[in-house]
Amino acid sequence: MNEYAILSIHGVLILFGVLLMTPMGSSIAAMFHSRYPSTTTRRGQILAGMMFVCLGGFTVSAQTLWMHNKLSEGASVCSGDTILNCDGLIGNAAYNTDPLLDQPWGLIGMVAFTLLMWFVITIAKEPMSSETPLFIKGGLGATIAGLPVIALLVSYEIKEGLICPFCTVTHITNVIALIGFFMLFKMYESDNWAPELKKSSRK
Amino acid sequence: MHENGFAKFGENMKSMLHDQDASARSDAGIIVMSMFFAGLLVVAFTTNPIASGTKIGERAPEFTADAYNGNGWNSFEFESLLDKSWTWNSSEESPWIAVEFLDIDCGYCKNSATEVGEWAQMYSAEQWPGPDVVFVAVAVGFLGDHTRAEVLEFRTQYNNNFLYVDDLDISIAEEWEVSATPSYFLVQPDGIVAWNSNEATNSIGWDPKEEASTPLNGFDDGYVQLNEAIEQLTMLNRGE
Repeated sequence: MNEYAILSIHGVLILFGVLLMTPMGSSIAAMFHSRYPSTTTRRGQILAGMMFVCLGGFTVSAQTLWMHNKLSEGASVCSGDTILNCDGLIGNAAYNTDPLLDQPWGLIGMVAFTLLMWFVITIAKEPMSSETPLFIKGGLGATIAGLPVIALLVSYEIKEGLICPFCTVTHITNVIALIGFFMLFKMYESDNWAPELKKSSRK
Repeated sequence: MHENGFAKFGENMKSMLHDQDASARSDAGIIVMSMFFAGLLVVAFTTNPIASGTKIGERAPEFTADAYNGNGWNSFEFESLLDKSWTWNSSEESPWIAVEFLDIDCGYCKNSATEVGEWAQMYSAEQWPGPDVVFVAVAVGFLGDHTRAEVLEFRTQYNNNFLYVDDLDISIAEEWEVSATPSYFLVQPDGIVAWNSNEATNSIGWDPKEEASTPLNGFDDGYVQLNEAIEQLTMLNRGE
């Protein structure tokens, strides 16, 4: 299968999550109301959307790790004459591992999105828990910590004059997750987190 | 103040461990860990990664540098010599690559230079029954600031009619973990290091069929020369 066809599968997961997170998500979420009653609330829709976004980020990171391994075997997985070229970046030994742990970037992405997914699922399962603000801030902090890493990877792309579409989708997914956690943060501070309960009674 | 802070942190941690919300956290943990290991397993079962490096069985680091091919200094990509689709039973006779790191002021390099030049001709001649071996010399500047003109003089003096790569800034040597000259490597056509003269026991080579190291016959820990490694490893598995 063409690599861009596979990338579009990850993209569909992420796009679906983004749609759920937007105000348009309420009509999409209606499909899940009977099975997942939490999606009747705005909070539940954002959390459901973030689960899809994190899942998409995880799968595209896993595919990046797969490509990293395949390239080391000598295969060509995403090369081309255009600026869009993964082989030149994921297959470049100078840039394809993180400078601190020397681990492939795909694995780092898998770990990061697993952690974000854990925050999201935990918040979704117990939204009224006293630790919820801690997990929201944890997710926010983790996604903000991802920004300098993204800047480093983009600097590699600029240096090589190439764009790795798979890596770029992962970077965008991190930014979407950051926006999602920020929305949750703002919502928790307001009465919209649990409209049935007043903020004062939650504390 | 600090005692209060620690006490509060301790209480928070205690409540995180024991309250009913722990169930949500552990459920979420089981879900995400299952997802993570499922992803890792798929990657592990569908790939066979090879580390980049210069130990035998590793993928030789690729480089781009200026090289002299007899007509002038031109940009050279190591990758251009490789046939990444090569396997041990390939019907195509893709060339192997012998890489020598040398310093033009190194006595051992001078002593072996004539011999290396002869090997370069011998292993690409009609009479040689094995696959062609392309020789590449990487000229480093470990022992002083040399010029390209001096490198060419050395090349001409010892009749080394093969590619000379300019690594006077020793960037390639660092990437290939070369700290002394001469150092020799034999690289398979697919870019896997088959033999490295700097290995602690250099009488072992890489068997691409078994994907494991193999002892070179008749050396038993003795020092193996490049030509001996070429003659055994390029002929390994032939006729099977």
